[in-house]
Amino acid sequence: MNVVRTTGLSKRYGSLAALDGVSVELAENSIHGLLGRNGAGKTTLMRILTGQGFETGGTVEVFGQHPYENAGVLSRVCFIKESQHYPEKFRVKHALRAAELVHPNWDNAYAAALLADFAVPADRLLAKLSRGQLSAVGVIIGLASRAPLTLFDEPYLGLDAVARQLFYDRLLADYAEHPRTIVLSTHLIDEVSDLIEHVVLLDRGKVLIDADAESLRGEAVAVTGSADAVERFAAGYQELHRERIGGSLRVTLTGVPDRFEPGLDFEPVSLQQLVVRTTQRHGAPVAAGKESR
Amino acid sequence: MTRVLDVARIQLVNWPALLAYPLAMPALLPLLGLVIDISNGEAATGPHENYLLPALLGVAATGHLQTMTQVFPFTLGLGVTRRKFAAATALVVTGQALLLGLVLVAFGAVERLTGGWGREARIFGLGVLRQDNPLTQWLAYSGPIIAVSAICVLAGVVFQRWRQTGIYLSVFGGAALLAGIGALATTRNWWPSIGTFLGGQSSLALLTVYPLLFALTLGGTAWLVLRRATA
Repeated sequence: MNVVRTTGLSKRYGSLAALDGVSVELAENSIHGLLGRNGAGKTTLMRILTGQGFETGGTVEVFGQHPYENAGVLSRVCFIKESQHYPEKFRVKHALRAAELVHPNWDNAYAAALLADFAVPADRLLAKLSRGQLSAVGVIIGLASRAPLTLFDEPYLGLDAVARQLFYDRLLADYAEHPRTIVLSTHLIDEVSDLIEHVVLLDRGKVLIDADAESLRGEAVAVTGSADAVERFAAGYQELHRERIGGSLRVTLTGVPDRFEPGLDFEPVSLQQLVVRTTQRHGAPVAAGKESR
Repeated sequence: MTRVLDVARIQLVNWPALLAYPLAMPALLPLLGLVIDISNGEAATGPHENYLLPALLGVAATGHLQTMTQVFPFTLGLGVTRRKFAAATALVVTGQALLLGLVLVAFGAVERLTGGWGREARIFGLGVLRQDNPLTQWLAYSGPIIAVSAICVLAGVVFQRWRQTGIYLSVFGGAALLAGIGALATTRNWWPSIGTFLGGQSSLALLTVYPLLFALTLGGTAWLVLRRATA
């Protein structure tokens, strides 16, 4: 069963198409990676899925219904974002209490354990927390809510590497015990590549990849060797990228079934490299973008 | 309804701004009145009124501004619908006004029992607000609080949707509208009729019915704006 289904979804801000004909399906009880560069449309898509944003065209269904002002849908959704602002008078315990009031599956004991794991003081004002602690509060709410559809829009950016690993470990352990649909939007693709089961890659509002992570891991291969030999081998395959160093050539190819050829080296391509190469091939200008809202 | 009560409880996490400060203020007003009387040299000049209650309206209402600009975006992310949030806000505004109105009735009684705080001062029993029985007095205190709170709710929603631009346009637009109505009334010579109409209304209607109609109008407008507001 699909928890999310969009068909030809579009969102325009004047002449800018933040989403342009996005059609995706997210299966129930799976961890989905929503990947893409800044400005690709990830946050826009998640805002529409959670009834916070409004589509310009196309259709969107969450649990089979449109999410906007739909209490039956939204009571099963938790959306945690990096830019989350909390009321200035709220303490950590108030934010957790608020989440407890609106999420039927909330686990108080689990939230308390996560507070201890991330060393977040429950009595402290949210305005007084460090960026890392504030990110941890979002992560704790997202995990302890156990919402049937939980969306994390890079709330872990403020966490250091150790805390991020703790988040991944806790997420995986809790997901194993309480399966649910989780959407992780992130730039840190290598860190989550073993975590996610399905990948949606957005670029400039369009879907570039929509596939199982497992199949993607074996999808691409980097072939290195003398330029002539590599050129001969690469003919007929889809090429994502090429680098020439002196007389040798390294190309990244997809759809290569037979990965042995005398004189050539074959190396698997990481999910991050596949995403980077696919995005580059799509022709997006390489510059730091800003996530559109 | 349970969901609405839960969202109201989330709003009341900010209970110092919504309840504690407004409820503490009536206790401070007699002291403030005394200081003003002393500074005016009017402590022993017979029956007099201190117009301090409008300050209470401001204190009571500003908490709702924070509710709309800070608590609303937070709860939207938790999966609360705008409709439930609006219903919870109406509940909190009404509850706060009725509670505060009740406290003002009590302080008004104390004021009478103490002979105007021992110096014939009227802080709570202002002539313009005075009613014949405690129930209508309660309503007369609560109505204006709801009306001013509705202004703050609308301002908060406008800010949440259109930020400073929305506030500037609302203030300038509202001022222009009032000035236009005033100019129209003057050119058409409507002021005597308006004065006659208002003079013919009971004080309870002026203090409760019209403020509630005003609040309902602003609340309806706030809902229309809130429907497309985002976090």
